Amino acid sequence: MTDTLVTLKLNQQQLELMDRTIAQGVAPDRVSLVRLALREYAAARKAEAGKEPAR
Amino acid sequence: MSGRQTIAEYVLEPGTGKAIELLKGQILRIEQVEGGQCADFNAFNLHDYKEFMHCGRTRTVHGFHPTTGTFMWSAPPRERAMLYILKDTVGRNDVLFPRCSAYVYEAAYGFAVHTNCHDIQAEAQREYGLTPDDVHDSFNLFMCTGVDADGHAFMTRQTTKPGDHVDLLALMDVLAVPNVCGADVMKTSNFALKPLKLTVFAATDADLAQVPKTPTLASQRSPKDFRNAAIKSDRPLRRDPAYKPEFPNTPIVVTELAVALDAEEVAMFNAVKRSDIYGDDDAAALRDLLFSWWEERFLQAHAGAPAIEST
Repeated sequence: MTDTLVTLKLNQQQLELMDRTIAQGVAPDRVSLVRLALREYAAARKAEAGKEPAR
Repeated sequence: MSGRQTIAEYVLEPGTGKAIELLKGQILRIEQVEGGQCADFNAFNLHDYKEFMHCGRTRTVHGFHPTTGTFMWSAPPRERAMLYILKDTVGRNDVLFPRCSAYVYEAAYGFAVHTNCHDIQAEAQREYGLTPDDVHDSFNLFMCTGVDADGHAFMTRQTTKPGDHVDLLALMDVLAVPNVCGADVMKTSNFALKPLKLTVFAATDADLAQVPKTPTLASQRSPKDFRNAAIKSDRPLRRDPAYKPEFPNTPIVVTELAVALDAEEVAMFNAVKRSDIYGDDDAAALRDLLFSWWEERFLQAHAGAPAIEST
């Protein structure tokens, strides 16, 4: 299956924050950082949903 | 706390305030005499009155009801911890409401003249050459307030008793200006004006040891860092013909970053993206997700507040 391309628009300050985060060893590059963010953010939302009481 | 040396004592009579030179390492105790009395409070850097306590910054960092263990911060671009709330026997202060003013009592109650915190503050500050325009948003001690379901701030009666007090430790030399709130026809001080007792102590080593370390950042600027450090001394505003704007980090330049998502990632994204806000704009939704994730993972304190470093 082909990948879906999403093109982010980021200003120099946002890129600086990403690059400083990358420099801490969180991810190897900007694209990897975005993909890591997606995976961790989605996992956190899924975990939150699992904690909600059944209706 | 035992062992503190008493430096000065005052009684603030109803309708009055007092400007006090509170030096670094000294404590100002503001104390209930009869109970049930709100105190409004201003504070200025004693050596540069343009640095003053900022309720907006303070409530962003510490919430609407700062109490023991929190700081009173100065306004940007200084943003320094000016005072530390060393002790608060009540735990109900307010940084939501502005000072009451003559306008309020004229407009709402029909008074030609009425005690009010703005005018009391201004009169107390006049002893140090400040003008009524220099009175700033007040930190309201012992004032019981909240926010209702519709988002409106409200005030109600307080439950303070004689002897209840707040101890403010000066972290720099300040002009501290408490006043007895002038509201006797509101719930603020339970419909009566009562005196307050003020005591200035020298902090002990044990007092000083309680203060958490705060960050020292390059962004905490003072006049030596200003492009225009001179205080304007006349009232009209006139354009500087030599002015050339130097806004930080401008121009803002946007760069595109293409991110390829596989099928699993697309499914994850579709499950969490904020289509309610961004509609079909997946690029904006993914950017939102990126920085929302960053805040969750890396932000040390809410609302961009400076993290208080542990001692």
